[in-house]
Amino acid sequence: MTTTAVLRRIGLGGITGSPIAIAVALALMVVLLAVPFGHNGYLEIVFRNILMYAAMAYGWNLIGGYTGYVSFGQVAFFGAGAYCSAVLSAHGIDNLFADVALACVVNALFAIVVGLPVLRLKGHYFAIATLGIALALSDIVANLDALGASSGLAVHHVDEAHFYVYYYAMWLVALATILGTYFIARSKLGFAFVAIRENEEAAAVLGIDATRYKITAWAISAMMAGAAGAVFAPANGFLDPSIAFSVDSNVFPIVMAILGGAGTVAGPFIGALILAGANELLQRYFIKIHTLFFGAMIVIVVLILPRGLVWLFGLKGGARTWLKSLTAYKA
Amino acid sequence: MHLFAQDLVNGILAGGILAVVALGFSLVWGIMNIINLAHGAFLMLGAYLTYQLFASFHVDPFLSLPISFVVLFALGYLIQTYLINWVARAPILTIFLLTFGLSLLMVNIALIVWTGDQRGVTTAYSGANFTIADVTVPWTKLFTLLAALAITGIMQLWLTRSKTGRAIRATSMDIGAAQLSGVRVAHIYAIVYGLGAGLAGVAGTLISLSYAVNPGMGDPFLIKAFVVCVLGGLGSVEGALIGGLVYGIVEAFATQLDFTIGTQHISGSGLQDAIALVVLLIVLIVRPTGIMGKATA
Repeated sequence: MTTTAVLRRIGLGGITGSPIAIAVALALMVVLLAVPFGHNGYLEIVFRNILMYAAMAYGWNLIGGYTGYVSFGQVAFFGAGAYCSAVLSAHGIDNLFADVALACVVNALFAIVVGLPVLRLKGHYFAIATLGIALALSDIVANLDALGASSGLAVHHVDEAHFYVYYYAMWLVALATILGTYFIARSKLGFAFVAIRENEEAAAVLGIDATRYKITAWAISAMMAGAAGAVFAPANGFLDPSIAFSVDSNVFPIVMAILGGAGTVAGPFIGALILAGANELLQRYFIKIHTLFFGAMIVIVVLILPRGLVWLFGLKGGARTWLKSLTAYKA
Repeated sequence: MHLFAQDLVNGILAGGILAVVALGFSLVWGIMNIINLAHGAFLMLGAYLTYQLFASFHVDPFLSLPISFVVLFALGYLIQTYLINWVARAPILTIFLLTFGLSLLMVNIALIVWTGDQRGVTTAYSGANFTIADVTVPWTKLFTLLAALAITGIMQLWLTRSKTGRAIRATSMDIGAAQLSGVRVAHIYAIVYGLGAGLAGVAGTLISLSYAVNPGMGDPFLIKAFVVCVLGGLGSVEGALIGGLVYGIVEAFATQLDFTIGTQHISGSGLQDAIALVVLLIVLIVRPTGIMGKATA
C-alpha cells in the first residue's frame, strides 16, 4: 500500500485532501480577483478580511493540521508581522514588498528561537504555552514605548484612490499560502509532517529528525501569518495591541481550518469563506447575538463534522457513512 | 520589611482563591485529559448566581456556596453526558474546541442576561479589615482563604475515602481495568466534569466577594488555573493548593516590580500574562511533573 493509500484510509483523502475541493478553491480564488471592480469599499474590506483569515488559517493548518501540534498562539506571528510594517512605516519606508519580506524574516527567526523550547512540549502543554506566548507578547508590546505602547501607531502607505493595492496584496499572500501548502504537502516535507502527526516516535525511528521538521513547519506557518499581518497593518491604517493580537484573529483561523478540514489543502480557504462570510452577515443584522451564534456553530461543527467539510467531498457511501461516523468517538 | 510582609500576605490570600479555581480544572484535566476552556465561564456563572441571589434575595455569599456548587454541578453533568461524551475518544483538538465553543456560548448568554456592566457583591462586612504588625488583612479575603482550605480538604477526603471517589481515581489510573471492575466510565466522566464545573462555581462565588463581576471575568483565571496545575502537578488536590499558594505569592511580588531601562519604564502590574508565561516555561523546563507531581508515563 502506498503512503497516500494509507492516508486515504485514515480518512483524509490523501495528503492534499480531495482534488475536486482544491479545484473549487482555486476557481473561487480567481472569482475573488473581480471584487475591487465592484467599487464597493465595504465589500472589498469584507473579502480582504476573508483572504487574511484564509492566509492565517493556512499558517495554522501547517503546524496544527499537518504536523499535529495544535497551536493557540498564531496571532503572535500575525501581530509581529503587523508591527514590522508599522515600524518600517515609522522609519519612512512605505513599501508592501519590504513589509512582507521583513515580516517573513523576523517571524522565521522569532519562530525558531521560541520553537526550540516550546516545540519540546506536546499536546495540551504545547497549546497553552503557545497561548501564553501570544498573551505575553501582547502584554509586552502594550508596555513598549518604542512601539506606541497601548495607544498604538498610525501606518499609512497609499492614498484612498489606490486602496485596491491592499486587496490584491492580500490576495497574493492568500494564493501563496494555498499553493505553498499544496507543494509542501506533496514534497518530502509534507510527508515528514504527517508522519510526525501520526506517530512521532515511529517517525524518529524511520530517520525523520522530528525537531528539525517541527521547527520548519512552525517557521513556515509563522511566515504565513506574518505576511498576512504585514499587509493588514497598512490596510487598516492604525495598529495597537488589541487590534494586532485580537482574540478573533487567534481563534477564527483555527475554527476555519477545522470547519473546512484540518490537514487538507482546500479546507482552510473553504472554511474561511463560509465562516467569515457568516460572521459578517450576522454582525450586520444580529450584532447582539453574533458571537453567541459563533459559539453554537463551533459546538455543532465539532459534534457533527469533526473532520471538516472537505472530508465530505471524498466520502464513499454518502449519508450512511456520515451518520455512522457521528458515533465513532462516543465514550 | 513591612511591604515584604504585606505582599506575602496578599499573595497567600490571592493564592487560596487560585487553588480553588485550579482544583476543578486539575481534576478534569488529570482524570479525563480534557483541557476545559469552559472553566472560566463556569466560574463566571457561579459569580453571577451569587450576585443575583444576593441582589434579589439578600442571600449571604458564603451561604450561596453550596447553591453555586449544586447548580453548576448539574450543568456540568448534563454537558458531559449529552455533548462531550459524544466525542470523548476524538483527538484532543476536538474537545478543546468543543469546550471553547461552550465557553463562548455561556459568556454571550451572560452578556445578554446581565449585560456587560460591572457588578459587585457588597456585604455589610465588605470593607472591614484588621491589622497585625502593620499588615492589613481584609476579613472577606481571610474567610475566602479559610473556605478554600476547607473545600480542598473535603475534596481530598472524598476522593480517597468515598466509593465514587475511589472509582474516579481508578478511572484515571486505568480505564480498561476500571471498566472490568464494574465502573461505568461515561457516568464517572459526567461526575468529574460536574465536579469541575461545581468547583469553578464555588470559586466564582468566592471571587465575587473581592473582584468585580462581568461576563469576561473568567478568562484571566483560566490561564492562571493552567499554570497553577502545571506548577502543582496534575490531577492532585494538594498540588492545586500548593501550586495556587506559590503562584499567588510569585504574582504578588512580580506585579510590584517597577523600574526603568533607558527611557523605557517597566511596571510589573501591566505584565501579568507575561509573568504567568515565564513561570509556566520555567516549571516546564526545570520540573515538568510539578512541585507535588509524581513521574507519569
